Amino acid sequence: MLKRWPGFVLIIALLVMWEIASKTGIVDSVSMPPVSQVFTTWGGIIANGELLNYLLPSLGRIFSGFLLAALVAVPLGLLMGTTPFIYRLLEPITELIRPIPASAYIPVAILFLGIENEMKVFVIFLSSLFPILLNTYSGVRGVDPILIDTGRTFGVSKMKSLFKIILPAALPSILTGMRVSVGIALVVAVVAEMITGNSGIGYFILDMQRIFRVAEMFAGIFTLGIIGYLINFGFLKVEQYFLRWRGNTGGV
Amino acid sequence: MNLSNVYELGTDNEMQIETGRPKTLIHIEGVNKEFSVNKNKITVFENFSYKIPEGSFLSIVGPSGCGKSTLLKLISGLETPTSGTINFDGQVISGPPKGMIYVFQQYTKSIFPWYTVLENIEFGLNTQKKNISKQEAKERCMEYIKLVGLEGYEDYYPSQLSGGMQQRVVIARALICEPKVLLMDEPFSAVDAMTRAILQELLLSIWEKLPITILFVTHDVDEAVFLSSHIISLGKAPIGLKEDIVVNLPYPRNQIDTRKSKHFTTMQLKLFSSIFSQEKGQA
Ligand SMILES: Nc1ncnc2c1ncn2[C@@H]1O[C@H](COP(=O)(O)OP(=O)(O)OP(=O)(O)O)[C@@H](O)[C@H]1O
Ligand SMILES: [Mg+2]
Repeated sequence: MLKRWPGFVLIIALLVMWEIASKTGIVDSVSMPPVSQVFTTWGGIIANGELLNYLLPSLGRIFSGFLLAALVAVPLGLLMGTTPFIYRLLEPITELIRPIPASAYIPVAILFLGIENEMKVFVIFLSSLFPILLNTYSGVRGVDPILIDTGRTFGVSKMKSLFKIILPAALPSILTGMRVSVGIALVVAVVAEMITGNSGIGYFILDMQRIFRVAEMFAGIFTLGIIGYLINFGFLKVEQYFLRWRGNTGGV
Repeated sequence: MNLSNVYELGTDNEMQIETGRPKTLIHIEGVNKEFSVNKNKITVFENFSYKIPEGSFLSIVGPSGCGKSTLLKLISGLETPTSGTINFDGQVISGPPKGMIYVFQQYTKSIFPWYTVLENIEFGLNTQKKNISKQEAKERCMEYIKLVGLEGYEDYYPSQLSGGMQQRVVIARALICEPKVLLMDEPFSAVDAMTRAILQELLLSIWEKLPITILFVTHDVDEAVFLSSHIISLGKAPIGLKEDIVVNLPYPRNQIDTRKSKHFTTMQLKLFSSIFSQEKGQA
């Protein structure tokens, strides 16, 4: 933490510059109110619960979409990684769908699922699916054959080997996939909420911009920054716990 | 023991069986093994046959790449012969048989990095003894941890151990299973000379105590003579079996007395010069 001080100094310096630029009229203070005002407003909408009202639905969507994706992608990835036929069957289609930006599914999803929660959860699910799937099957395929053969020589059954050897060996890769996925899930949730509906932090930011509550808009954006940071931080902690065996120098 | 017979260099394996030795446990019959790499065919074994008597301590020596590891993997059932058969206890081996454990030459890749030393060894125990109390299992693991000199490291992860320590974990994990056949592929390659001497004695004492057959790959002639009841020397295919030796040094052996005996030195020199002259002749 202490080593990071130059980074923190820079952030504070930028905020101070913003404050000065806005107060002295270098930038239009209507489009960019002083940062002190943004913070006061932020405190206000936190205190009166307005922000939380918009934030909670977003977090709910991100969480359920991501969880569904993990529940589908991990078993499917294990299957693809261990069964050559399934791999050859599904790998081409995965590679084709994967590069399509998740936001491009939104119009299609609206047609089938409407504009509310189902559609958003589905789009988040779909966009979270591929990083986890890809990392799971490549992780499984990357497990050293010697490790699997060690299981075989000790008489471990195929099923047991899957859970006792292949899964833990592929776990670093799976967790990396999950961390990438939550990041994407956050982006996609905000985009989906901006396109349709009237709930969520994405909707809040767009709505505040439309009705010229610019300080609230910035407060919403700041919130996203904090949420993204916390999610990533939490995930690193989870990884650290599950991968504690890697030792301090292991790294990701 | 007949002193004029302390070593028998180049004795025919078939003959030994006829002269009242224990029954054959592993019978390798006309085995061919080929690998294809980038459309090239590598022949590692060509019509290779050998009988391994039950309860023997067989060392396998030979130049790098001659197929020592491949031979152990074929016996372990991890690899299958291109043709020919290997019998174990009267059954044709078609997959890893129960009661046989292969200790990989690549020990760093064979250790489970997400398990501690204790958990790695417990993994071995759990694959053999299903109904054993947690407390008892832990005690047995600790016993083996002590035997290989890793006391105090039981809660370390492999990433926190040195190469030689990791190798001892892998050895303990195999020993605790008390298999019928132990296939060890250069198991002491990464330990220091003193630890190696201790582990050699440990292995011998286990082998002398239990009805266990050990196949042991090593590059070290001294180690082979000290440990083994039988030594074979392999050449690259199509040579196959070059030497088949019975080491008639009495058991129990120990590092000091066995090494002091004249037979030990003679045996070692004889084997060394035999391998050396052949290698030199080929080069
Ligand atoms: N899985 C494999 N695929 C292709 N070739 C292989 C494979 N395993 C072994 N070989 C080849 O078989 C030959 C014998 O290899 P092996 O590992 O048995 O040698 P070794 O006697 O154990 O050598 P070392 O003393 O160096 O361990 C080598 O030429 C090697 O390239
Ligand atoms: Mg080898």
